[in-house]
Amino acid sequence: MTRSSRRLTRLLAAATVATTLAACGGGDDGGGGGGGGGGENEASDVGITEDTIKLGAHYPLTGVAAPGYSEIPTGVQAYFDHVNANGGVYDRQIEYVYRDDAYNPTNTSAVVNQLVLEDEVFAVVGGLGTPTHSAVLEFLNSERVPDLFVSSGSRLWGETPEDYPYTFGWQTDYVSEGKILGQYIAENLPDAKVGLFLQDDDLGADGESGLREYIDDQIVEVQSYVPGNTDVGPQIAALQAAGADVVVGFNVPSYTALSQLVSLRLGYQPQWFYSNVGSDPTLVGSLLANFSQGQVTDATLLDGAITTEYFPGTDSPDDPWVQMFQQIWDEQGQEGELTTFRLYGMAQAYTTVQALQAAGQNPTRDDLVAAIEQVGADWEGPLFAPFRYSEDSHMGTSGMRVVQVAGAAVEELTPVLTTDLGDAEIEESDREAATPPENGIPDEEAAD
Amino acid sequence: MQQFVNVTLTGLISGSVYAAFALALVLIWRSTRIVNFAQGSMAAATSFIALALIQAGQSYWLALVVALASGFVIGAVIERVVIRPVEGGPELNAVIVTLGLFVAIQALIAIVFGSSFESFPAPFGLRGFTVGETTIALTPNSIYVLVAVVLTMAGLIALFRFTRLGLAMRASAFGQEVARLLGVRVGRMLTLGWALAAVVGSLSGLLIAGGGLVYPAYMDALIVFGFVAAVLGGLDSPVGAVVGGLTIGLALSYVSAYLDPALVNLAALVILMVVLLVRPGGLFASSTARRA
Repeated sequence: MTRSSRRLTRLLAAATVATTLAACGGGDDGGGGGGGGGGENEASDVGITEDTIKLGAHYPLTGVAAPGYSEIPTGVQAYFDHVNANGGVYDRQIEYVYRDDAYNPTNTSAVVNQLVLEDEVFAVVGGLGTPTHSAVLEFLNSERVPDLFVSSGSRLWGETPEDYPYTFGWQTDYVSEGKILGQYIAENLPDAKVGLFLQDDDLGADGESGLREYIDDQIVEVQSYVPGNTDVGPQIAALQAAGADVVVGFNVPSYTALSQLVSLRLGYQPQWFYSNVGSDPTLVGSLLANFSQGQVTDATLLDGAITTEYFPGTDSPDDPWVQMFQQIWDEQGQEGELTTFRLYGMAQAYTTVQALQAAGQNPTRDDLVAAIEQVGADWEGPLFAPFRYSEDSHMGTSGMRVVQVAGAAVEELTPVLTTDLGDAEIEESDREAATPPENGIPDEEAAD
Repeated sequence: MQQFVNVTLTGLISGSVYAAFALALVLIWRSTRIVNFAQGSMAAATSFIALALIQAGQSYWLALVVALASGFVIGAVIERVVIRPVEGGPELNAVIVTLGLFVAIQALIAIVFGSSFESFPAPFGLRGFTVGETTIALTPNSIYVLVAVVLTMAGLIALFRFTRLGLAMRASAFGQEVARLLGVRVGRMLTLGWALAAVVGSLSGLLIAGGGLVYPAYMDALIVFGFVAAVLGGLDSPVGAVVGGLTIGLALSYVSAYLDPALVNLAALVILMVVLLVRPGGLFASSTARRA
């Protein structure tokens, strides 16, 4: 949209507001939106009207990365529906548009273009994937579109806010995850020979750099795979040949299933570590579900594997946040069970609502970004550790705990540990678990 | 040493599946002189039919038979309905139509069966045999794959070399008018060629699916490597297709293990280029003069 046509839109919007006000004699204040303002709603920027706010996202709904990840937007949608049913944010209904990029960066560029230029979203929220989102990073920042809470742990989203002022990370970055797993191995398996199984992009590279901070001398073999090539036999054979008795995988879920299948074929039984991204036992179990003669029945292949968590998953049904989201899912969700991927989407949507509340009643895109920098680090929510948002860092949450898969549940191996990029120490988190709000909707003050 | 053995076996197994796919391409080339890009999607479609049966509680073997039979029908129908109208024109037309089919069938699979990943059961075990203390990357299922491919190859050689039907099919492909004058029902032969090729393609689809994950585009990589294998072998020779498939499988496995997995696709191209530079007709081309 050109500058002049944007001005025209604002003018028209202002005119609409004026006539509406004349008709109703004033807007309705209050509702689920929480504090701030008290004035009238205005169409303060692209994607915002008096009674709606439009958000967009890109996810792999088809293709190699679709298992699991395609469920995330259904969780986001369910949570937004819940917020909308309770009055929306500042009386604005959230309109959520998500499009399929099939985990293909070329498609991502096309669909994000569409979101920004055709759908005219106020912000992009939770765009998924390192290679995919990298393709639109420059575009979103040059168009000054807030690019919130990227669904990927690459350091790219938050390390250099001076380069990408509109982009924010959300989940624990892969470097910190690598460091936390590395420290766990160094302390608990100091004699292990470690092999790495890495996706051939930032997921693998960041994870490896974190691991090497702690177990550089224990690593005996590094193997990587290219997403799309489903034959990982040679890589696993190389790890086996190097005598690795611990294998750490920074990979997506379908490759967890593939690596387990190949290991079965090779009779290779190391202690597996999988990064959080690739470790959901329910999903991996369903991927392996059809195999013959009870040889590979369910997630039991993953039994004993060690991974990490930064928010409570479906394996913690007693967690108050999970119970809250479960109730919302039962009321607003589509068909199907609440999964950890849907919980991820709902938790991300929760943070999004916090950001929209903090941005104030009639925010511009820049107001939204400023609000997250100013108060985002104080937000409490389902995540175990606080966000690192500030003017100098757009990195997401800073910590996680190490857990071991046991059937469909997990056992905690460490308390919540927090750290940061580079040589920052790993510390135990001193923050107490937050209590979920009664109505399931956060209540943040406007940041100004 | 163990790694070398395992990498070699892994390469042989994936190579044998490339070979099966290349056989389907050779079959269709021999009997119709068309290169069929839709082969992979057609095979994927039949695999999903088989998977639906298996998930409904039927046995793998019944699903296999139904999948092959539906492959036969799909092949024949596509030839009659889609390919026949463009057959008289320039050769390129039919090839481009198969490219369109490739995309269309894949989309259709996604609509009918969904686009999620699903595991496809294997008829035999997926645990490697143990030799002494060590486990090698050879499973009962991979032996089944190897045997199936070798039998298919033998069957095709026998068909083309020893039967009147095979002779008639080759004649129809080479010179339609002459064949027609000699009493060969050319139209029927072309349909039969497509149908048989689709059966072999379905078989390769099921073989690669067994013990792995399937989704509508799962045959894509196989299409590329299968084509390389078929062209390596000369596109005309069943033995060439199998040798080409095994060569590609082994080479890519070694590249993946000892160089870099990122180089796999590049390596396939390099191999293809080198072979075509040295032997433009492929390794097993019978004679360069025989071009339709």
